[in-house]
Formats: sequence, C-alpha cells, structure tokens
Amino acid sequence: MQVLLEQLVNGLTIGTFYALVAMGYSMVYGIMKLINFAHGDLFTLGSYLGYTLLVIGGGWVTTTFGVWGGVVVAVLGAMLGIGIAGLLLERVAYAPVYKAGRLPLVVSALGASIFISNGIMAVWGPRFQAYPATSIPSGSILLFGDFRITILKLVTILVAFALMALIYFIVEKTLFGAAVRAMALDRETATLMGIDFRKIILFVFFVGPALGALAGVFAGLNYTRIIFNLGWSYGLKAFTAVILGGIGNIPGAMLGGIMLGLMEALFEGLVSGAWKNVFVFIILIIILIVRPTGLIGEKIAEKV
Amino acid sequence: MNPLTPKGLPRLLKFQGRQEAPAKGRKSRGLLALLIALLIAYPFLPFVNSYWIDVAFFVGIYVLLGLSLNIILGEVGLFNLGHAAFYAIGAYTTAILYTQFQVPILLLLPLSALIAGGFAYLVTSPIIHLRGDYLCIVTIGIGEIVRITALNNPFDLTKGANGITGVGNPDFGLFAIQSPTQFYYYIWVIIALVIIGLINLQKSRVGRAWNYIREDEIAAEASGINVRHYKLLAFVIGTALAGVAGNIYGSKMMIVSPSNFTFMESCLIFVIVLLGGLGSIPGNLLGATIIVVFPEIFRQFASYRLLFFGAALVAMMVFRPGGILPRKRERAGLRGLGISRLPADEDAFLQEALRAAPVASAGAVQPAENAIVLETQQITMQFGGLVAVNQFDLKVRKGQITALIGPNGAGKTTLFNVITGIYHPHSGKVLFMGEDITRLKPHRIIAKGIARTFQNIRLFPSLTCIENVMSGPHCHAHHGVWPALFHFAGQQKEERTILEAAARRLHQVGLWDYRNELARNLPYGKQKMLEIARALASDPQLLILDEPSSGLNDKETEELMEFLTRLVHEGFTILLIEHDMNVVMGISDRVTVMDMGYKIAEDLPQNIYNNPKVIEAYLGKEE
Repeated sequence: MQVLLEQLVNGLTIGTFYALVAMGYSMVYGIMKLINFAHGDLFTLGSYLGYTLLVIGGGWVTTTFGVWGGVVVAVLGAMLGIGIAGLLLERVAYAPVYKAGRLPLVVSALGASIFISNGIMAVWGPRFQAYPATSIPSGSILLFGDFRITILKLVTILVAFALMALIYFIVEKTLFGAAVRAMALDRETATLMGIDFRKIILFVFFVGPALGALAGVFAGLNYTRIIFNLGWSYGLKAFTAVILGGIGNIPGAMLGGIMLGLMEALFEGLVSGAWKNVFVFIILIIILIVRPTGLIGEKIAEKV
Repeated sequence: MNPLTPKGLPRLLKFQGRQEAPAKGRKSRGLLALLIALLIAYPFLPFVNSYWIDVAFFVGIYVLLGLSLNIILGEVGLFNLGHAAFYAIGAYTTAILYTQFQVPILLLLPLSALIAGGFAYLVTSPIIHLRGDYLCIVTIGIGEIVRITALNNPFDLTKGANGITGVGNPDFGLFAIQSPTQFYYYIWVIIALVIIGLINLQKSRVGRAWNYIREDEIAAEASGINVRHYKLLAFVIGTALAGVAGNIYGSKMMIVSPSNFTFMESCLIFVIVLLGGLGSIPGNLLGATIIVVFPEIFRQFASYRLLFFGAALVAMMVFRPGGILPRKRERAGLRGLGISRLPADEDAFLQEALRAAPVASAGAVQPAENAIVLETQQITMQFGGLVAVNQFDLKVRKGQITALIGPNGAGKTTLFNVITGIYHPHSGKVLFMGEDITRLKPHRIIAKGIARTFQNIRLFPSLTCIENVMSGPHCHAHHGVWPALFHFAGQQKEERTILEAAARRLHQVGLWDYRNELARNLPYGKQKMLEIARALASDPQLLILDEPSSGLNDKETEELMEFLTRLVHEGFTILLIEHDMNVVMGISDRVTVMDMGYKIAEDLPQNIYNNPKVIEAYLGKEE
C-alpha cells in the first residue's frame, strides 16, 4: 500500500512534467503540423538555466531571496529565457523552411534538437550537474496515516495544475484561444478571417517552451541531477502523451501526460524499473492500434 | 519570347520533349565509370593507409543503411526514425547465432535479413496505415524498445551494455574476409549488387507504386495501388537490407553492443537520405560519405562535432531543402523508365503503341447496350449525426452519360466515394455488373472496371505525366519484386505494355507532348485532362468524373464535352457530377438530382428543368 501511494505521487509528479512538455508539443503540432523535436531540448535548457541562476555567485539568489524566493527567481528566469529561445528557434529554424514542406521541417527540427543538446554539452559539460542542496526546499507534511509528501512535490503538482488550468482557460474559453484553435483546424481559412498567423506562432513558441522550462526547473529541483540529453527521454514521452490524449488537442495532452506518468510509475514500482520505457512504448503502440485518435480524440479529416 | 505565344509554344514543347539526353547520358556514364574506377583503385592509392580503408568501409555501411532507409523514406515517404532497430536486429541475430550455435557468418547474412525483415513485418503491419507523424513516433518507440531490450540482457542472450564479443569473420572456404582491404571490397561489392537491384526496382511497377503512394496515398489507392501491401513491402525490403548491414558490421567489429544502435544512429541514417535527396542513389552515396568522413577530418573538434552537425542540418534545410543531388526524373525521358529496347525516338514509340492496339478498347467483357452497369441500392452514409447520403438508389446504363446534379453539400461526392470504395456505407449495396462491390477497397474496385477522377485534382505532382498515367494499367499487371529485380522477360514485356497503354491514353487526351514534364508544372486545365487519362489507362467500363468542367474556360469546356461524347462512342460508360448546366443538358442521357442526401428526381435532361422539386432544391420554396 505504501509503495502504491508513493508511486502514485511519484507518477503524478513526473506526469505533470510530461503534461507541461506535452502541451508545448501539442500547440506547435496543432499550428504547424510539426513534431518539434527541439522542444525536449528546450526543456533541458530551461533546467540548466534554472540551475545556473541558483549556483551563480555562490548561490547569491538563494541567500538573498531565501530558498523559496530563489525557486521563484529560477523558475521565472528560466521561463522567460526559454520563451525567448523558443521564439528564436522558430525564427531561425522553422520560419524559413515552412514553405519547403513537412520533411525538411522535420529535419530542421532534428537539427535544432541536436544543436541545442550539444550546445548545452559544450557550455555546461558532458557530466551530470546537481542542483545545489541549499537551494532545494526541504520539509514534508503528513498527508494521512503515516503517509508523508514533500512540500516540494506538493508545490510542483499544484503549480503545474494551476498553470495547466490557466492554459486550458486561455485556449478553450477566450477569443484568443478560439483564434489558436481555428488556426490549428485550418490555417488558410483562419488567415482569411483576419487572424494573424505570426501572432499565433509567437504565442505558441513563447508559451510552449516557457511551460517546458518550468517543468525543467522543477524536474531539477525534484530529482537534483541533470544532464545535457535529459530532454530526449522527456521529450519522447511527452510526445507519447500527446498521442495518448489525441494529437493537437491541448486538454488531451494534459490528460495524456498525467496518465503516462502514473502508468510508468506504477509499472516501475510494481514490476520493473529497467523495462519501464519498453512498457511505455508498448502502451503507445497498443493505443495507436485500438484508438488511433487518442483518448480524447482529434478532429482531423481529410477531404477527398 | 513569351512561351505561350504560338511561336513560343513549339520551342517550349521541343525543350520539354526531346531534350539533350544523349550528351547528358554520356557525361553521367563517364562520371559513373570514373567513380567505379576510383572505388576499385582506392585501397592502392598512395595516401590511403589501413585507417582510411576502414573509413571507406564505414562509408559503405552507411551507404547500405542509407539505401535501405531510402526505400522506406525516399521511395514511399514513410517516416521511419527507428531504423537503427532493424540494423541492431541484424547485428544481434548474427552475433547470437554465431557465438551460441557457431552458424557460419555468411549463412547468417541472408538469415539476418530475413529476421530483421520479418520483425519489421510483425511490428509494422498493425500500424502501417497510420499517418506520418504517428508512424514516426512509433518507429522511434520501436527503436527504443529494441535498444533497451538489448541493454537489459534478457535470458543472458544480449550480454547487456558490454555487448556480445567474439563474432567471427565471413568465411568463403577458400579465403576468409579479415583485412581492412578485404572488408572494403566485400561491402562495396554488396553495395553494387544492392544498387543494381534497387535501380531495377525503382524502374518497375513496384517502384512506381511506391512513388505513387508517396505523392498521394488516396489517389494511389484509387488508381489501383494496394497501398497497404506496397507500404509493408517497402518496410520489409528496407529493414531486411538494414539487417544485412548489421551482419556485416558485426562481423567486421567482432563485437555488437547497444551503444551502436541509439536514436542518434537512426537520425544519422535519416539525415543521409535527406542530405542527398529523396530517392536519389548518388545523393545517398554523397550523404553517407559526408556523414562519415567529415567527423574523421575534424577529429580534434570531436566534442563540437554534433553541435556543428545540428547547425548544418538546419542551414541545409533552409537553403537547400531538396537535398544536394535530388533525383531528376523529368530529364531521363521515357528511356529513364528502364524498359529495354525502347526506340530512341519517342514519337516513333508512340506510333508503335498506337499500332499495337486501337484506342477504343474499353474493357474485355462488353455488356449489352443499355444494360445496367452500376447500381446503388439504398445507400446510406453517415458522418456522426449528419446523414450525407440517404437510402440512395442510382442506376447507370451502358453506353450512356449519367449526370448527378444537386446543390452544394447534397452528398454527391460522398456517394462517389462510396461507389469507389473510399468510404464504406452504413447500409445499402453497390452493384457493378451485377456483382456486389460494396466492401471492396478502392484498388480492387478500379481493377473491376470503375475508374474515377477527383473534385480537387489529385495527381502525383512530382512524377512525370507519363508516369502518372502508367498508374492506370497497374491493377491489371502482376509482376512483383523478383521479376523486377532480375528483369525477367515476362516482366519486361508487361512493363512495355503498361508504357504503351499510358502513351496511347496520353496521346488521346492531347498531352503526349508533355509526357516528360512533371505533373505539377501543367496548367490547371491540362491537369484535369491528365487525371482523365490516368483513369482511362486502367481500361475501365465505367468512368466516374467529379466536376470535370469546373475551373475550365468556355473553350476548354466545349472540348471536354466533345471528348466525353467521343468516349461514349468508343464504348465507355460515364457517370459525372456536374454543376455546369450546359454540360449536363448538352451531353447527358439521364440526370439524377440529389438534395440533402436524398434522390429527388431522375429523368431525361429536358424534363429536369421543369421538375418542381428540383426548382425548389435550387431556388428555395416559393412563399
């Protein structure tokens, strides 16, 4: 029972990371029909940016603003920095290739992914880096019985859910969100209706990576160790989550991320850690066979 | 000079038709001879030591991997980002069977291919119908599953992260392949054989079918290509070749470990195909050379290698998205189609083709005049809550032009899609010459004798016009991979028949002069005629045309009407959707009116005008 509860919390935690990263994938996919392979690496870059903010000047941020203040600075700093990096990525690697077709776009995304992860390696080195222990919030609270949860995990989950709720509200309930969804359904018609494609692109490529950066910093705080190619496995699983929920469908991406995290953690706790990724991909393949539109479903029909 | 003025036109045609092929052919043949000579002499060149011979060996491995992925990605357009998995399966098959059971390495070469291809068949057959992005992510997943499995050392078979050591060398009995030079020749001889095979495949009905799928899956299926079959075929052949590469790699390195089969490896192979140009074999050679040789040259910057590589990829896609040496099919002319003993003069070939069979040969079995060719019984088709077609009955009689008209959104195109098998109806039957064809797939329906065109033109845009039309006879031909690989006599004859039929139909619609032009370069009206030629080339009983006159000017419309009337005289039966009332009244024998999914009238054209229900459907009810 204890194991089960612990794995549920662990699954929920990692699931929120997958969900946050997945939303970025899903938004970009919706608008550009592109698997943004570089997205996972922006997540890593966000994690490193947060790490740098926390270690710079001998932990100056933490000593000045306190542990939680330091976390806020690291998170916001990373989100801003990676949001801008996302915009830059779109400008340099995608905007000029957009007209050339989908295959060049995919290759460009692969190239950008390789560039960013190896750029991180060039700057921060090929070894693991550890978030400084002094900057990581400590303490835990008794939830019920003798089941404890660390405050950090609780905050991680709450913040992630709050942000997901916010994005859900923006995309599903506001006029701007309607424009984003319209663009995802039919770019040409949406443009003819007066929606500015560039504006939507800016939104998608700022918000998506910023959410990824948030996940990156919290992943660093929770698991301490980070490495330059961290984003590869997070990215791949996040995209799996996207498919699980239904590609191009933002609430689906959130749901898919949480579910994937839970399934993975339960498998790891109850069966085997070494085979958990195999399990995840087999789940993916099964989902695609029995319900190729994902759990919530996508709305793409080809006109013949 | 404006190429569209009367004076300019012949020049343009001349440029498009008979190009400077012989000179070009001689030049490229010279280059090829030079390349082969260089490859043979390479180990003996003064500056080449055993280190550089090994580098050339690894170029060979990547050429093989690139060629193998090229079948899947380049020819068929299936995103496979897990190709390293099949490479790994080849290598592990070799390593395990050699170290555990001492099976000779040479025997393991075909066995590795078989197991890699068989594995690919098993894992891809349930998912092969998925859209590109799904397939992409699934193949990444397969790549990871295979790598992690090897890493986890199940049943102590794969020996975990350290890998399997002690893999032996290929042994021909008289001599064994051991030295770098021997391995170098070994792999390049295999590559040469593979390339010859691939070229033969590319220039056969199999290779064309792959290309049709890449260009437009729905149009390919509707033109008689069994899309699922050909996709799986490409996957199996491509992965089997990757298995061959795995076998050679294992026997050369004598060790097989999971670190060689990462996602990065799959990416590299993917990039080789893209770098050179999709479907281009010379591009493949160049891509593999770049990928292997550059890191060797810049060894001192090893840690920045991939950084540079990533940036170069982006830059490449920005500045040259088509690859370095893209395949230029429009330059090759008809002889580029790979049919032996084709006359150099393409017009002379057309004359031969026209003599070989008269144009008016619609199908073999001719039903009696006025017999019912096509009948739909109570067809109902729903999309969610919307009933697009409602208990629809339609009869099409032999030798007639039947027009289906109705306001926009009436369900006409949906009905066409039901008849041609693109949709399967919820209830009701489609009978063709008395036979129930309701549940058949589109490629089977065209083989039965119903060919169609689309409302929004669906050609194969990057293929030449003649190649487009050659998809028509595909469904009546039957030679597969092996005859194409070895150019069996029967296969060559069949290919020639296909080309002749295509030439006749292209000539019939007046597009012979554009035969070697890419379909996407034709003006709109000619694209429509090309689509009709493609449909005709399957020698159908019934031709289904979805708004043939839309987008045509008055003169073109008139020519179209004459053309369709001529087709009927030649024995074809036509069913068409049409909005232009002049066309409907001018050529049709029977008119069926559809509104909101229902049939509201069926009559002679002249009576339709005065039918109150029809007036109401078009103009609304009078208050």
